[in-house]
Amino acid sequence: MASCSGCQGVLVSCEDELLAIAGAIDIVHFPEASSRLAEEGPFDVVLVEGSISAPEHLEQIKAIRERSAVLVTVGACATSGGIQALRNFGKLEDFADRVYVRPDYLATLETSTPVADHVKVDYELRGCPIAKRQLLELLTAILKGRRPEIRNESLCLACKRYGVVCVMVAHGIPCLGPVTVNGCGAICPSLGRGCYGCFGPKEGANTQALAQRMLDMGIPREEVLRSFRFITGYAEAFREESVRHE
Amino acid sequence: MADKRVAVGDLHRMERGDFPLLLERLKGDGYRLVGPTVRDGAIRIQRIDSVQDLPVGWTDEQGPGTYRLRRREDDAYFGYRAGPQSWKRHLFPPRDPLIQLKRDGNTVEWRRPVMDEPPMAFIGVLPCDLAAIKIQDRVWMGAPFHETRYVARRRQAFLVAVNCLEPGELCFCDSMGAGPKAGDGFDLCLTELGGKFLVEVGSDRGREVLAALPVTTASDEDRHALQRGLDAARSRMGRKLNTKGLGGILFGNIDHARWEDVAKRCLTCGNCTHVCPTCFCFNVRETGTLADGQEDRERFWDSCFSLDHSMIHGGYFRNTPKQRYRQWLTHKLGAWESQFGTAGCTGCGRCIAWCPVGIDVTEEAGAIRKDSKSHVRMPAPREHRLKAGDPLIPSPAQIMRVRRETPDTATLWMEPTGPYRWRPGQFNMLSIPGVGDVPISISGQDGSAILHTVRAVGKVSEALTALEPGMLVGMRGPFGTSWPMRAARGRIVTVVAGGIGLAPLRGAIREMAASAKTYPSVRILYGARTPDDILYPDELETWSWPMHMQVGVTVDRAGPAWSGHVGVVTNLLRKGGEVRPDGVYLLCGPEIMMRVVAENLLLAKVPEEHIYLSLERNMKCGAGFCGRCQKGPYFICKDGPVFRYDKVSFVFKHPGL
Repeated sequence: MASCSGCQGVLVSCEDELLAIAGAIDIVHFPEASSRLAEEGPFDVVLVEGSISAPEHLEQIKAIRERSAVLVTVGACATSGGIQALRNFGKLEDFADRVYVRPDYLATLETSTPVADHVKVDYELRGCPIAKRQLLELLTAILKGRRPEIRNESLCLACKRYGVVCVMVAHGIPCLGPVTVNGCGAICPSLGRGCYGCFGPKEGANTQALAQRMLDMGIPREEVLRSFRFITGYAEAFREESVRHE
Repeated sequence: MADKRVAVGDLHRMERGDFPLLLERLKGDGYRLVGPTVRDGAIRIQRIDSVQDLPVGWTDEQGPGTYRLRRREDDAYFGYRAGPQSWKRHLFPPRDPLIQLKRDGNTVEWRRPVMDEPPMAFIGVLPCDLAAIKIQDRVWMGAPFHETRYVARRRQAFLVAVNCLEPGELCFCDSMGAGPKAGDGFDLCLTELGGKFLVEVGSDRGREVLAALPVTTASDEDRHALQRGLDAARSRMGRKLNTKGLGGILFGNIDHARWEDVAKRCLTCGNCTHVCPTCFCFNVRETGTLADGQEDRERFWDSCFSLDHSMIHGGYFRNTPKQRYRQWLTHKLGAWESQFGTAGCTGCGRCIAWCPVGIDVTEEAGAIRKDSKSHVRMPAPREHRLKAGDPLIPSPAQIMRVRRETPDTATLWMEPTGPYRWRPGQFNMLSIPGVGDVPISISGQDGSAILHTVRAVGKVSEALTALEPGMLVGMRGPFGTSWPMRAARGRIVTVVAGGIGLAPLRGAIREMAASAKTYPSVRILYGARTPDDILYPDELETWSWPMHMQVGVTVDRAGPAWSGHVGVVTNLLRKGGEVRPDGVYLLCGPEIMMRVVAENLLLAKVPEEHIYLSLERNMKCGAGFCGRCQKGPYFICKDGPVFRYDKVSFVFKHPGL
């Protein structure tokens, strides 16, 4: 759907594991990486990247759902609408007019929405891009018949397990880690910068309490708004929080 | 001049310039040094090489949700307070391989990974952290099992503690009896005073190490200075916590408004549990991807704040931040004492500093105490007999026979590898490599085969019900408590079961059916969803034949061929005549069923001591370590699954606890 195809790139860049995957799984349709195409299905597993952004996506996603036993959405675009969902906060024609000389040639939906808004989704891999380890775990779990070890827990747990010093508590750097799903392995805090939520909100994210903390730390209201309105800004918890600071 | 007469309990003096010799001596003895060091803006605890790595001249300024390093005016080695890490990460690592699977043709073997780590010497264990290590010792080296990996690391570890003369803004070790003086359990204890070190000898190992170093006997002046320093420290604690009867107060105020209040602020991020030096909850996962073909198992730190921690098939019972925060605090400051005989908290203050929104446990506990509505009598720690062997390694059992019971249930006959004894009510952890492992009640024995009736409710149970004769499954157990067969002798016994709940009771029923003399009156009341879901229909029929047995079966929804009772099992209870207060009642089924039946029994004046129930939780270890199966102060895997109602009613009546 609408995406940068970076998440598909994660599968391609599996390198060492790619051979094992190709040995265990028959990849029948992967336009980014293979000239073999088989759109009719039926499929055991379909990985869908990208948000529903253009009119044809509405039809395509329904057709894909019908032909797939298991549908997995991969990446911030498919799971939350992506960064292109920032247009949902305004009016499409305002943006279109500024970017395109002939906006009348555009055929696009008013909003960019996650796949789950349109069809039932069996598994979700969050991230921008997704984590290779989680992709491998999901495929292995499906093959072995186990519950995928993909947990909905805060990023903070990863930082603490790895021994990363909290950038917020020790350095006053705002970080969305406490309300963001772990999966990336705490890449940003381990490099001394705050998490910007690219894996999307964790379950029960208490964005209000975190936003209040940020304001108490002296972060200007507008910056608090922008920190929640970013790559996964359209995911419900982040969306509602950013609106509170408008 | 070195004084060679060094004895345990002695206090000696060491010159600052000689301190590096201690580290060199330990390294020379083969220890890997672990100690505090400045990195990324905090004092972390990690491998160090020499005194240069220590946080010389550093201290910290802490407050709720903030921590900043500050330069000291002097060159103290140990002039800081608890940082974001504790020694727990070295004795109970965040990720730890648990089991390795080896396949050899048709055979499968589960093995412990070889541990080839050198012994560690901990340099600079603060008193609060020494107390925390001893608290964790009771978790991993208690009863009924010892956790072999922790034991191996711990027994080898050399502990150099440091007394703390400068407590911080968040410290309350004094309130918890955990400082400022280091309790016993160290090999050596240093106090940095007036530019030199005082060294107390705590063990034979410590004595041996110190005897080889240039030390002199401490003078009376030294002793007085030490005492004065400790007294001053005691009076300068940043926080206080009144622990008197705290557990009973917290459990007596389960619906206090303060829980709602803290829930609005709590991020359920779990930072507190991961910086806490005593938290022990862990989760287990099957590892290995397509590429490496491994089917090993590892454990990793988990938190009661994560949703998954309270998973039970079909849902999560600690859904809300309020329930999770309440679990954390009631466990740490209340239930822990009933579990292990000490408080769970040492007053290190880490959870306050590293909470991104600065929630303060002393404030929360204080607020509940302030307008406490009632208190509860907390149970005393339960004595368990220590069992030999490693409870975390499965042994292979071969499937001999499989019988489909209902559309989603099957009974497995499996042959254990060695002699096996069990009592009705106990369970095994059954493992499917690469998929997982789950607790399943033992539902009978046939010759040497052990029987388990499994209902497919998740991936592992699904895989179990799909097994075929000849296949291997991993078995560990038996675990847990059993039905009170002795207490039931000579009494009128009523068994009330719902759905798959009949399986854990089957062993007990068979025993009672076999002896009218010992069990003169047994009534079985069983409820299933539909006639197709009735478990062991033939056996239920057989059980109704002896004179001393009565069987009543009901279904929620009848089919066209059903001519029996329709309705919930409590109807059978009422219909079956008088509910006798002197009878013994054994309950097993969905929690809501057991709750309603128990309420009915209590209304009919049955004493709580005559009612027994079997609880169920998602378990990862089954041996009292991972913490997932806790209900208030009880571990369902070792204090249960069979409980006498009077013991658990104070927590059982709160579903979200």
